[in-house]
Amino acid sequence: MVDVHDKVIRGYLMSLVGEEGLQMIENMPEGEVTDEEIAAKTGVLLNTVRRTLFILYENKFAICRRERDSNSGWLTYLWRLDFSDIEHQLMREKKKLLRNLKTRLEFEEDNVFYTCPQGCVRLLFDEATETEFLCPMCGEDLAFYDNSHFIEVLKKRVDALSSV
Amino acid sequence: MDLEEEAYNIIKRHKEGVFQNVIWKELDIDSRKCSRIIKKLLDKDLIIREVGVSNGARTYLLKAKEEVKEKYDLLLAGALFSACTGCTGDCQPEYCGRLSEWIGSLIQEAERSEETSEISADIEDAEETSEISADIEDAEEA
Repeated sequence: MVDVHDKVIRGYLMSLVGEEGLQMIENMPEGEVTDEEIAAKTGVLLNTVRRTLFILYENKFAICRRERDSNSGWLTYLWRLDFSDIEHQLMREKKKLLRNLKTRLEFEEDNVFYTCPQGCVRLLFDEATETEFLCPMCGEDLAFYDNSHFIEVLKKRVDALSSV
Repeated sequence: MDLEEEAYNIIKRHKEGVFQNVIWKELDIDSRKCSRIIKKLLDKDLIIREVGVSNGARTYLLKAKEEVKEKYDLLLAGALFSACTGCTGDCQPEYCGRLSEWIGSLIQEAERSEETSEISADIEDAEETSEISADIEDAEEA
C-alpha cells in the first residue's frame, strides 16, 4: 500500500481525486470489492466513489475485473487499487510540469508587461499600447511590471527539475 | 563498516545511479556475492534497480531510494502540488492562472526561506556577540 502520509504522494493524489477521493483510498477495503461495498465501508458517496475509481483507473492505479452472474446475466465490476506504478506516474507529472514551466519562463523572459495597480489585469507591452496604457477594466494608469524576481525563482526551479 | 553499508554508500554517492558491475569491482568481491548484497538492500527498500547496459554487458543500474523521493519534492511549491496534475483545461502555460498560482506559491516559499535564513544568521550573530562579551568578561575577571 502507498504511503498516503508522504507529502508528495498525498499532494499528488489530492490533486487527482480531491479530499473525499483520498478518504476513499485511505479506507479502501482489502481485496476485490464492488463500488457499492467501497461506498458502504468508506462512508464516501457512491457517485464520488465511482468518479474516484474512474480517475484512478485512467491513471493506472485501479484494476477492474468484470464478472457475469450466470443466473441473471448481470455484470459485476470488482475493483482493487494498485499503486506500484506511482513512481512512473510521478515522473510523467514531473516532465509535464517542467515542459510547461519552460514555456512560461520563455514567455516571461521574452516579453515586457504592464499591470493595473488595482490588480485587474496584466498586459503585454503591445496590448498596453492599444489601450493607451490605461486599464481596460477600471481605467487606472498601467504601471511597468518588473518580473525579474518571478523569472529568477522560476528559473531556479526549472534548473532543479531539469537536473534530476 | 560491512559490505552492505559500503555498497549502499557507493550507490548513494552516485546521484545518477551506478551500475552493479562497478560496485563489485570497487568492493573487490565477486558478482555473486554482490548480487546477494544488492538483494538485501532491495528487500530493505533502500534502493531501486533498473535493467541497464554497461560497455555492452547487461547489468543493473542502481539508485538510492531517498534520492528518488527527493526529486519529486520539486513538484511541490509550498503545500501546493503541481498545477498541471489533474488539469483538464486547455493547456496555455503562458496565461494559465493555476500555473501562476503555483509559481506564486513558489515565490512565497523562496521569500520564507530567505527570512528563515536571515533569522538564523541573526541568531548566530547574537550568539557570537554573547560569546565575545563572555570572553571579555572572563578576561576582565582574570
